[in-house]
Amino acid sequence: MTAAGVPSSRYLSSIPASPAISSAVQRVLGYIDDLPAGATGALNFGLHGMILLQSRKICWAVARTMRLRLTDLLRNQSTPPVSREAVEQVYRRCKASGTPIGEALVASGLATEAGLRAALFKHNGDAIVALARAGAAPDDWVTHTKPGYDPKYSFSACEVLAMVGSLDDPARAAAAQVELANMLVPDSVGAAFTRGTDASGSLVIAVDRGCDFAVADLVGTCNWVAGLFDVAQTFDQEVFAARVHFGTQAGLVTWRSKDVGYVGMCGSRAAAARLVSRLSERGVRSSGVMPRGSHERESPA
Amino acid sequence: MSAPLLSCAVASMHRGLLLPSEANNEAAPELEELAATLPEVFGTADPGCLERVAARLGAEQGGGNFSQVLFLSESRVHVIQALERREGEALVAVSPSGRSVGLVLSLVQARAAELEEER
Repeated sequence: MTAAGVPSSRYLSSIPASPAISSAVQRVLGYIDDLPAGATGALNFGLHGMILLQSRKICWAVARTMRLRLTDLLRNQSTPPVSREAVEQVYRRCKASGTPIGEALVASGLATEAGLRAALFKHNGDAIVALARAGAAPDDWVTHTKPGYDPKYSFSACEVLAMVGSLDDPARAAAAQVELANMLVPDSVGAAFTRGTDASGSLVIAVDRGCDFAVADLVGTCNWVAGLFDVAQTFDQEVFAARVHFGTQAGLVTWRSKDVGYVGMCGSRAAAARLVSRLSERGVRSSGVMPRGSHERESPA
Repeated sequence: MSAPLLSCAVASMHRGLLLPSEANNEAAPELEELAATLPEVFGTADPGCLERVAARLGAEQGGGNFSQVLFLSESRVHVIQALERREGEALVAVSPSGRSVGLVLSLVQARAAELEEER
């Protein structure tokens, strides 16, 4: 796990990196964003699979075409792997009591909290990618009245989008995650993105845990701030950061470092001012326009 | 500490041109370049998207309309300040004092207030 609590890329290698897949995943995540705030229940995709949500956060996802199970992921986090029998004992208890298996494994000491979160992140990400690649669309929404999942094991749609975007260059995404953790201030959330030469727009590669916007809005914001840097080149090629105030309170701060763009979304002017101040102190200087084409590599889908 | 040199002018957000006025006659050439970006800056944002983001951040209703844009570089501060009471117009400003952002913004806001009083 990184300092920001995001699973390392080694858990994610089974998902192919591709902007096309990122777009397809964005479509699936859009279905979640379309649900009312606080939605808790099951979003069913017919025979393809389902996504369980709690307060519109992703707790569990499964797709028919998935190969690895969560228990396999958890078992393989240890060397040697945890015995199948030990896991199955916990599974049987969970089945009888109706408690989630992952949390029971943590309680029994067979998995760590960080390991469970990483495994769930991979499992749910794999499932959502599989649903996206199958072109699946939801055919049913079943509301659940009782919350049953620990919020620390749930993920925002933005986190899943960034996970898929990160696969294009995991090292760059990990560095971007560290940059966000180092630069964001209280009352701000942020995202990192790269750009392509085609019309696909920004590829979100990292977000902080608090980033919970509709994915289309996050991508739209990234596209717009990337455009701000383009226009800034016409009057000053050394522009390294920009701040935008909305009304009397909120603001966006955007900056770039190497070939990655960042946007900090601030809930107060004070937060935006602190972020700008931090950037000024550090003197982020990266000349030239953020290069296009940084996510051009297509892998065979 | 001496005040930073600040050049400013009023420009049309829609046409990207400095508006004819006595003050603008001596405007720095870089203000013309900054003014030329206004249609792009104000015209290309998806207002719905920014409105929703702003709302999640706690902005008041209509908070998707941005009021000020600040660009920082090593040697310059550029500011675009929308003039609330002069629809479609913005104050564009540039200062060579890249390290005096707060002071530059104070001067820009004071100038914007003067311009709005003039109307």
